[in-house]
Amino acid sequence: MSDHALALPALPAVAPRRRVDHDDRAALSLVGPIAVLMLLLLLAPTAAMIALSLTDAELGASTITFVGLDAYRDVLGDRTFLISAKNTALYVAIVTPASVGLGLGFALLIEAGTELRGFFRSAYFLPVVSLITAMATVWQYLMHPAIGPINLLLHVVGLPSINWLGSSDNVLGSLALIGIWQQTGFDMVLFLAGLGAIDRTLYDAAEIDGARSAVDRFRLVTWPMLGPTLLFVVTITMINAVKVFETVMTLTQGGPAKASEVLLWTIYQEGFVFLHLGTASAMAVIFVAVLLVLIVFQTRVMDRRVHYG
Amino acid sequence: MRTLFRSVFAGLAMLGAVAAPAAAETEIVVHYPMPGFFKDVMEKISTEYVKTHPDVKITFATPSATYEEGLQLMLRQAGSAEMPDVSFIGLNRLRVLAERGVGVDLKPFVEKDDMGSQGFSPRLLKLAEFGGKQMGLAFATSNPIFYYNADLVKKAGGDPENPPKTWDEVLKLSAKIAALGDGTIGMSYRWQGDDWMFSALLFGHGGTFLSADEKKVAFGGPEGLASLELIDRMVKEGKMPALTADAQLQAFYAGKVGMMFWTTGGLRGTINGVGGKFDLRTTKMPVIDAAKGRLPTGGNAAVMFTTDAKKQAAVYDFIKFAAGPFGSSVVVPGTGYVPNNELAPKDDRYLGKFYQENPLFRAGLSQMDIMIPWYSFPGNNGVKVTNTIVDNLARLVEQKVTPEQARDDMVAEVTKLLPR
Repeated sequence: MSDHALALPALPAVAPRRRVDHDDRAALSLVGPIAVLMLLLLLAPTAAMIALSLTDAELGASTITFVGLDAYRDVLGDRTFLISAKNTALYVAIVTPASVGLGLGFALLIEAGTELRGFFRSAYFLPVVSLITAMATVWQYLMHPAIGPINLLLHVVGLPSINWLGSSDNVLGSLALIGIWQQTGFDMVLFLAGLGAIDRTLYDAAEIDGARSAVDRFRLVTWPMLGPTLLFVVTITMINAVKVFETVMTLTQGGPAKASEVLLWTIYQEGFVFLHLGTASAMAVIFVAVLLVLIVFQTRVMDRRVHYG
Repeated sequence: MRTLFRSVFAGLAMLGAVAAPAAAETEIVVHYPMPGFFKDVMEKISTEYVKTHPDVKITFATPSATYEEGLQLMLRQAGSAEMPDVSFIGLNRLRVLAERGVGVDLKPFVEKDDMGSQGFSPRLLKLAEFGGKQMGLAFATSNPIFYYNADLVKKAGGDPENPPKTWDEVLKLSAKIAALGDGTIGMSYRWQGDDWMFSALLFGHGGTFLSADEKKVAFGGPEGLASLELIDRMVKEGKMPALTADAQLQAFYAGKVGMMFWTTGGLRGTINGVGGKFDLRTTKMPVIDAAKGRLPTGGNAAVMFTTDAKKQAAVYDFIKFAAGPFGSSVVVPGTGYVPNNELAPKDDRYLGKFYQENPLFRAGLSQMDIMIPWYSFPGNNGVKVTNTIVDNLARLVEQKVTPEQARDDMVAEVTKLLPR
């Protein structure tokens, strides 16, 4: 694609028309299949979702009426949806900085070390490739208040045991802990790739210019050069965190008393358990819109600050 | 693809029919939920059925993981060519079908048939009746029972041969078991997930969820408050911790919980989960009001979906077989559900011997006379109402509200969700 774009200005100004047509056709045939797929698999369902959100559709109901923006008004005034949005925001606010920070830390340590690099790399990456629903069951056991190893450990060192998933005060934190565990390895691998791409000579130059300590080298070379990677990692981590569902579904079902109610779970419940398709679609539209705005904002603002040259 | 397959298949079948004029085959497509509970049971029943009905062929649609998913599937496929002929729907979801006009009313079939002599008493028929429609025949039914760990009860100074018969006794014993220390839990009451176990307390006091005309909330009265106060006392006096449903069950399996109150439908799973680690016993639920007290019925019913008049007779016959004495004799030992047929437990060919040899299964059986239908709320917010009740129970168990506050919030929130 980029070759194509670069090649165009180089063409002589008197290039025959036919050649451009040919190029257009080539471009079309290259873009065509994916465009059709996107239309069928992404845009059409999204359009259907928007259309449904303007109706009072219910699974199994024989009639369907157009209700305009009523569903949106209901959703924005719905206590459950607001709690859910708040919980999701809190979850993202915990998981994103923690897993990005830890991922960067581990990547730096592995990059700096000389032995067992392959081992550590795979060890931290394991949670990413494991099936989260199955691993959630393992966490359920680890965090069990009466028979779980974590509480037994706390007991041994004389600390009071914690009701990880059963208490409405702790449950979101516990789920965030699992989320961090799952995301850190992924972030680490991305940072490793970013670190590998930094030109070694920059470090040598920095050293000659007086950056002797590791902290200085990190501050002056690594951190600025990691900018584009960091932007990508933060974005992907946030998106993954907003999409939290499996752990909630397997471990807490939104409870106790909505303390772990998150957006995807709320949408699932509304649509497939309460059978209110219209309302669920409105929730999904709001969800996607917020996500889009976040991503566009972040990319626009951050993009300006992380590109050099 | 599937239609192509079918037409090829149909073509081959027609060729076969020309070659050898055998009896025309009727194919019944059966859908069921929770394969973990019902896969073996369904296969046994269908194998036995086709033995005596060689003209019928039974095929299974892909089972759904839960009652909710099963209901969605049937609502989605209603009226389409993919729709199964019969499905097993949660008793508390039948009302949704009845109100949306999905599923076939069995009333005309039942009225022509002598149901009593086949073990389908009026009480059993009533479990699957909504708004004058017979939505199905109860297939697997359950009631809540009292599980206990006889080892822990003994250790705490209780008598495993004489388990508590009232809630006061339960709470006292629970405090003693909790006092054993080492993370031991006195009791766990399965209040999470749905309103079923709450209704056991409400019905136990003789209360109802709504007024007789279903226009107004009725659980705000003395019975509802007493039920909430009882849960409050389980926490305060019985030292019941706020756990997730899974954690509660796992702790019981691990021998860390003295007493557990849950459905008899989970009995086989519990026996397997405990696996001889301790002396597991069961008994009746503690009695609240001996005269007015009732217990809710859990489980599912076989519902007919096919609208093809020729097929309906065959499907009705299969439903009766599945819900009949033979069906019961497969379902009960395989799960722990109580028989949904009056003939099965009395006859040695079916379950007569089974109950003599398996005393753990008797607790549910002995409560069958006070079982009433699992209440489902009217209107399109029925399931949401259930969640609202559970959320308020969670706040009560966590001691964030008093029973009075929980009741007031429940009444206010549920009132908003009822049809106007």
